[in-house]
Amino acid sequence: MNTDTETRPTAARVEPLPPEARFSLRARAHHLDRISEALWVGVPRRIGDIAENDARRAVCLGPDEWLLTLPEDQGAGLKARMAEIRHDAPHALADISDRELCYRISGPGAAQIVAMGCPRDLRALVTGRAVRTVFDGASVILWREAEDSFRLDIWRSFAPHALALVETGIEELRAGL
Amino acid sequence: MSYRIPGRGRVDHADPVRFTFDGKSLKGLRGDTLASALLANGIHLVGRSFKYHRPRGIVTAGSDDPNALVETSRDSGRFEPNTRATVQELRSGLAAESQNRFPTLEYDVGEVNNLLAPLFSAGFYYKTFMWPRNFWDKVYEPVIRRAAGLGRAPTEVDPDHYASRYAHVDVLVAGAGPAGIAAALAAARSGASVMLVDENSEIGGSLLSEPGVEIGGTPAWDWLADAAAELEALGVQVLPRTIAMGYYHQNMVGLCQRVTDHLDTVPANAPRERMWRVRAARVVLAQGAQEKPLVFDGNDRPGVMLAGAAQTFLNRFGVRVCDRGVVVTSHDSAYHAAFDLADAGAVIAAIVDTRSEIRDDLRSEARARGIEVLASHTVTGTKGRLRIKSVRVNPVASGRVLSPRTLFCDALLMSGGWTPALHLFSHTKGGLAWDAEAQTFLPDRKTENCEIAGAGRGLWGIGAALADGAKAGAEAAGALGREATTPEFDVTTDRAGTGRAHEELPTDRNPSRVRAFVDFQNDVTAKDIRLAVREGMRSIEHVKRYTTTGMATDQGKLSNINGLMIAADALGKTPPEVGLTTFRPPYTPTTFGAFAGYHRGAHFEVTRKTPIDPWAEAHGAVFEPVAQWRRARYFPQGEEDMDAAVERECRATRASVGIFDASTLGKIEVTGPDAVEFMNRVYTNPWTKLAPGKLRYGVLLGDDGYVRDDGVIGRISEHQFHVTTTTGGAARVLNTMEDYLQTEWPDLDVWLTSTTEQWAVVALNGPNARKVLEPLVEGLDISNAAFPMMSVADCTVAGLPARLFRLSFTGELGYEINVPARHGLALWEALMTAGAPHGITPYGTESMHLLRAEKGFIIVGQDTDGTVSPQDAGLGWALGSKKADFIGMRGLQRPDLVAKGRKQLVGLLTEDGAVKLEEGAQITAERDAPLPRAMIGHVTSSYRSPALGRSIAMALVKDGHDRMGEIVYIPMENEVIAARIASANFYDPDGGRAKA
Repeated sequence: MNTDTETRPTAARVEPLPPEARFSLRARAHHLDRISEALWVGVPRRIGDIAENDARRAVCLGPDEWLLTLPEDQGAGLKARMAEIRHDAPHALADISDRELCYRISGPGAAQIVAMGCPRDLRALVTGRAVRTVFDGASVILWREAEDSFRLDIWRSFAPHALALVETGIEELRAGL
Repeated sequence: MSYRIPGRGRVDHADPVRFTFDGKSLKGLRGDTLASALLANGIHLVGRSFKYHRPRGIVTAGSDDPNALVETSRDSGRFEPNTRATVQELRSGLAAESQNRFPTLEYDVGEVNNLLAPLFSAGFYYKTFMWPRNFWDKVYEPVIRRAAGLGRAPTEVDPDHYASRYAHVDVLVAGAGPAGIAAALAAARSGASVMLVDENSEIGGSLLSEPGVEIGGTPAWDWLADAAAELEALGVQVLPRTIAMGYYHQNMVGLCQRVTDHLDTVPANAPRERMWRVRAARVVLAQGAQEKPLVFDGNDRPGVMLAGAAQTFLNRFGVRVCDRGVVVTSHDSAYHAAFDLADAGAVIAAIVDTRSEIRDDLRSEARARGIEVLASHTVTGTKGRLRIKSVRVNPVASGRVLSPRTLFCDALLMSGGWTPALHLFSHTKGGLAWDAEAQTFLPDRKTENCEIAGAGRGLWGIGAALADGAKAGAEAAGALGREATTPEFDVTTDRAGTGRAHEELPTDRNPSRVRAFVDFQNDVTAKDIRLAVREGMRSIEHVKRYTTTGMATDQGKLSNINGLMIAADALGKTPPEVGLTTFRPPYTPTTFGAFAGYHRGAHFEVTRKTPIDPWAEAHGAVFEPVAQWRRARYFPQGEEDMDAAVERECRATRASVGIFDASTLGKIEVTGPDAVEFMNRVYTNPWTKLAPGKLRYGVLLGDDGYVRDDGVIGRISEHQFHVTTTTGGAARVLNTMEDYLQTEWPDLDVWLTSTTEQWAVVALNGPNARKVLEPLVEGLDISNAAFPMMSVADCTVAGLPARLFRLSFTGELGYEINVPARHGLALWEALMTAGAPHGITPYGTESMHLLRAEKGFIIVGQDTDGTVSPQDAGLGWALGSKKADFIGMRGLQRPDLVAKGRKQLVGLLTEDGAVKLEEGAQITAERDAPLPRAMIGHVTSSYRSPALGRSIAMALVKDGHDRMGEIVYIPMENEVIAARIASANFYDPDGGRAKA
């Protein structure tokens, strides 16, 4: 029973995600139907749920808060459509495309990497859901894209710190102990 | 000579491991602890005690050992003092050194303390070092500090990694003895997710020391192997070498896992330890019990060991701890240790039992082995300098101690019974109840979702532990809505027993000469505890602090109950009336590294950097921390120091153009039909009439009317504001706003979004700012007429989508250009290129502070301190006097805020312009008034102003606004500086330059 010298496959990897248009949407519940029409995606009502329609996604982060993601070239159109319904369905639509940097952590050890910095019960974060939580002290939005694939949205200036822990964690898993 | 019994125990006899102790090369086996390997080499003496430097040996076989603390090292950087030899697993090349001795373990000059022991009674420090008072700092404390402490502190930075992990499980089982294993199996079979942890290198607990037990007809160790296989098959996460060290609120349990200390070589990047923070729906505490020593004269001599430890060393490690042992006990369990040792070839000279009634089966088993049993006996002394040679025993009849006899031996195995390990339960503030029959505290009222199983709640024997564990595991699963069954366990050759608890054993010797130890590590004797009671200590908490009993690194695991029994006897009370001290985390000593985890070195705390930070770093900026950010403080050229660099940066900005990274400013987008109403309620200023495209300086107060934050705010449209805050105040301001919005004004249709990091911000300031910027702007006329001071508009700058502010925090013509963060660096570089013909000069936070001070602009937190009202700060003009309400409006009407005598912000000009004041210096109205002299204020900001060619300062001075032109005094260490009160708007007071 000496050192575990077994060579393990890379248990996890991390990659930056390409830019996309991202908006923070705030509104009251009784305007959501009207807003969903303008968004071209129905906003989900349950916190953590993600709705998707043709590469446009809406994530429910709170009782009156949603994250919208869509291809970069659709951002301006979305803004324009939402401006048109401002009087009928009051809301706030803030462009946050540059606020966060986004990463994908994937591989059989991905959940262990996330558990190094996130106190949430990852068993409860099933595939296809996303939540606002913390990772290593930084506020993040954590998406579970698949059983062994997570996405982290982190405020830009916190990203290097969080990423450093992810990289340390990957090395730790590689050591196999 | 070797005390190893070939083929015996769970060690690998085919895998010898070399190690050193005090430089001597020794051999142990794979699977040994350092303690078992030393004992196999016949070594009991491992250290010197803390106070009296008495020779001490290994007492226990577990993490509760008070004596076996040694220094261990892997290499020069990996050095650790106070490693417990009973916990540290043997690894190839392990170097161990004894502690607290000089020059050698055998001959230690500190042993002189032992002869002076009558001087070092309880409360000794309090009594002796009180007088003369001034001796404390210079003599007593330094000497005590030098003599105090165990082991040497490491001198090198710890090169190891430490890891952290969160985990969530249905059931966490702490302790993997029979009760813990049965609990884990019962819970896991019901489908619950289970984590099972144990401090030892393998699961099994007492089963490892009791191989003769049969469970359902299967020998204990075979049953253990089957159980381990089933646990694995059920997916139970089994963590050996992992101590549940703290039980926190809502079933959060801290686990410290030893990851690499047992390995001969450590794989790259493997952490030495890992701290687990486990949130468990249910916790099962199955930590077992700890054996107590008996308290008698000479009970600390090397070779005096707990009987259960001797049994563990024999059965688990194949080490016979003696050739000729004597057993002294008040509990049945020690008989089995005696029998096992006798069966393994040791001579047991006698079993000395303090009790009169002894079970017939134990008597006959002893007789069968030729062991003499001395009932109703006491131990009154031991002999042997570095190892016990003999023990003095006396019969006790009708409370009288009769004549002694001497028994020769090389080990004395003692048992004062067993104490349930209540520590983790105690962390939860769970209630304890005294069991008068068992003479022990047992867990009673629970505060957390936990079960306690086995010896931890006073049940003795393998069969009882298994049944109770299974029941606890099933109950835990049942509480989670799962159906669990409790299997029957048919245990044969179970060696359950009973015993009694004691104060110190009776003696026929002069009580003042008796050294009967209660706390081995802190050298506290029974006499010390009785003295503490005589001197007035009544509560066990006071006795503990007065004598230091239970305050050592073992936290009284061995000593607490013995200490309590003696204190209770001295007080004439029952133990529960005297009480038990509270256990606190961690259960066993835990490294700082495990607590720190990943947060060390560069990863200690987050350092936020702006998108322009790489440029600043490449251009030699000196940085300073501002909140979590690092900001460029100044950009030295060549050999420039800060003053020279700042002077150059300021002059260049005022003469031509300076460029500044303002990205860290907090930004909040306030949007919705009620945005203007919200702004009116939050900020002091009126916002209704601010037209879209215009800026206004806003002031934010607390309820108390004091200035909390400020910033320039732009109205982007009828329903949207772009708010800026101070760098450090960004999160606080957003939280304050959200708080009011959610709790006070939920009816308002307005929403807040932090856009601090959406935008990178570059400030251009100086008379040439427009010349630099204008050619880069598209979609906006930025001429002075079309885009005057305090304007905002969206446009394109250098081909980038931008939001342009025209404002000035320097007194010069100024712009702040916001672009999406990813473009921040590109914008900066474009402006540097465009500004090159004008000698554009980057400046840092220091110049920014100086330039604003020349204009008398405040910095919240520097020129205000949380007790400054807007009027005090000269910002009365920013109060919307016609508004119905704003946060702090009522506060401003408090009598003390409208009274005379408030400190008000003013400028200060020293009479001698070459003299610069110290920030924070106090101010007096008179130069030579008698002491104590009234202080009327203090300096808040102070600089040498390049623009004015002299020093300038800002200060909060009592009634300062009414003292314009008056001279005040700033007393310093060697001089008193005179300064004249003036307006703080030192530079370009009409503001014409910013509007140009």
